[in-house]
Amino acid sequence: MLLAFGNFTADPSVNLQLLIGGLALGAIYAVVALGFVLVYKSTDVLNLAHGEFLMLGAYFALTFLISENLNFFLGVLVLLLVMLVFGLLVHYGIMRRMVGQGFFAIVLITLGIATIIRALLLIFYGPTERARLDLLPQGSFEVGGATVRHVDLIIFAVVAGCVLLFFLFFKYTRLGLHMRAVADDIEAAAAMGIDPDKVYAMTWAAAMVMAGVGGLLFGHVTGAIDRSIEAIGLRAFPAAVVGGLTSLGGSIVGGLVVGVIEQFANGHLGTKWREPVAFSVMFVVLLVRPTGLWGRKDLERV
Amino acid sequence: MNARGLDLTIEGLTVVYGGVTALDDVRIAVPSGGFVTVLGANGAGKTTLVRSITGLLYLHKGRVRRGSIVLGGESILGRKTPDIVSAGVAQVPEGRKLFPNLTVKENLLCGAASRSDLSGIDDSLDQNLDLFPQLRPLLSQTAGLLSGGEQQMVAVGRALMSQPSLLICDELSLGLAPKIVHRLFELLTEINETRGTSILVIEQNASLALEHAADAYVLELGRVLMEGSAAELRGNPMVQELYLGGGGEAHTSYAAIERPRGERRRGRKKPGGDS
Repeated sequence: MLLAFGNFTADPSVNLQLLIGGLALGAIYAVVALGFVLVYKSTDVLNLAHGEFLMLGAYFALTFLISENLNFFLGVLVLLLVMLVFGLLVHYGIMRRMVGQGFFAIVLITLGIATIIRALLLIFYGPTERARLDLLPQGSFEVGGATVRHVDLIIFAVVAGCVLLFFLFFKYTRLGLHMRAVADDIEAAAAMGIDPDKVYAMTWAAAMVMAGVGGLLFGHVTGAIDRSIEAIGLRAFPAAVVGGLTSLGGSIVGGLVVGVIEQFANGHLGTKWREPVAFSVMFVVLLVRPTGLWGRKDLERV
Repeated sequence: MNARGLDLTIEGLTVVYGGVTALDDVRIAVPSGGFVTVLGANGAGKTTLVRSITGLLYLHKGRVRRGSIVLGGESILGRKTPDIVSAGVAQVPEGRKLFPNLTVKENLLCGAASRSDLSGIDDSLDQNLDLFPQLRPLLSQTAGLLSGGEQQMVAVGRALMSQPSLLICDELSLGLAPKIVHRLFELLTEINETRGTSILVIEQNASLALEHAADAYVLELGRVLMEGSAAELRGNPMVQELYLGGGGEAHTSYAAIERPRGERRRGRKKPGGDS
């Protein structure tokens, strides 16, 4: 039956290649999903500007690592610091005033932020597309007839490292504990003397830094850097939802699952099936488990 | 070890939510190392009083229109909650309000959020677990899965983690079995006597509160209706009638009998019994 759709094949090397490509794409989705999860978990805001945050990261990577030609590690440091400052700006300039407003009003505000970022990038960088980044190793090697790119392995390692870092931060640091407390019950947290405002500011800063990492990585695997790469935010959305929107580990698994399924749909059914299949997976998961695979079921016994 | 209790003086406190007045010219004093209770039915303004002291009115769009709140000689009115907690005020919120997804230990540690002496936090944890030994084996449990009584102990322990000089308990007895409420009040008395912590207990359960407190206030529709020593109020026929189950209509509020200014009337909720 499937044959009717296109070039379905049982050739193991083709399927292996699709699996590898899917995992690489999934790792990128995981970076983006991690950004969604950070903000949603801690501030209850669904941040539709995260794709734009990531695009901002990619453009800043162009500036600091290509135009300014800084040393790679120094450039990355500057990139992440600038992103951190932008995260604080988003909180203190805009989101802080929205605390306590309705969920949808805040979601619309994030759409507004997305529009502003797109406009600013057009103003300061112009409409021409730029070549993708080439700072990470460009080589590749063969495994079982399939090609594995070095850059994909690096992306994988970086994403795994970030998740581990966040996990340790939330589990073992005081600020991490306070962030989880605010996520659980903002009023109780405030009553304990935790300043929710500070916690939210840190969250936006962390999400923006994560987007800086994402932009740097995605800037290496996208076709070219232009103002359409923000679409990665929407494309990674099923990954975040499948993972449950509140689980750091879930964002990784969700990213990988959706990435692999997308690549197989792409390879066996054709490019036009990629996104419908990805979003169908999201719908099915939501039907079966409305909180996503690892989403939080609030433990409250009253 | 613990800071000595500080005195709290509230005068002329008037609080509004939008156009609705929740507290009207309220005057309450907690002496240093004292044990004071504020009694009142639902809607009397008890929780608003707590929010005013702890600086949390803003979360409910309420604001203080007039009055003063002074802790140990310093005004805390208008200060931010983290400041007020650092100044020595800790609270056990109504309905416990634990962090349900955090463990018992993590909940307790959150109570120490305002402290900068990181090395002293472990000692406090140990001290508080001596008060509630039954929490020791539950430290790594998720707080949302505990029984009501255990949750209330965590809530009290959490408040004590900031080493308060004034501990405020809002409806400690709500939804708990009488035996557990008794035990909690005994612990409050112990904390009051051994640590010198000033205690302000906001309660519907008048008999127990009057038994443990030294002074008492009765709040009705946002105003102080009566005040005096706990013994005096226990002997007052109107208090017996309304709050101690003396008359046949034990659960009727004062408002229901006299209904001043035709204000809304609310029945008194009977404390439930799950533990």
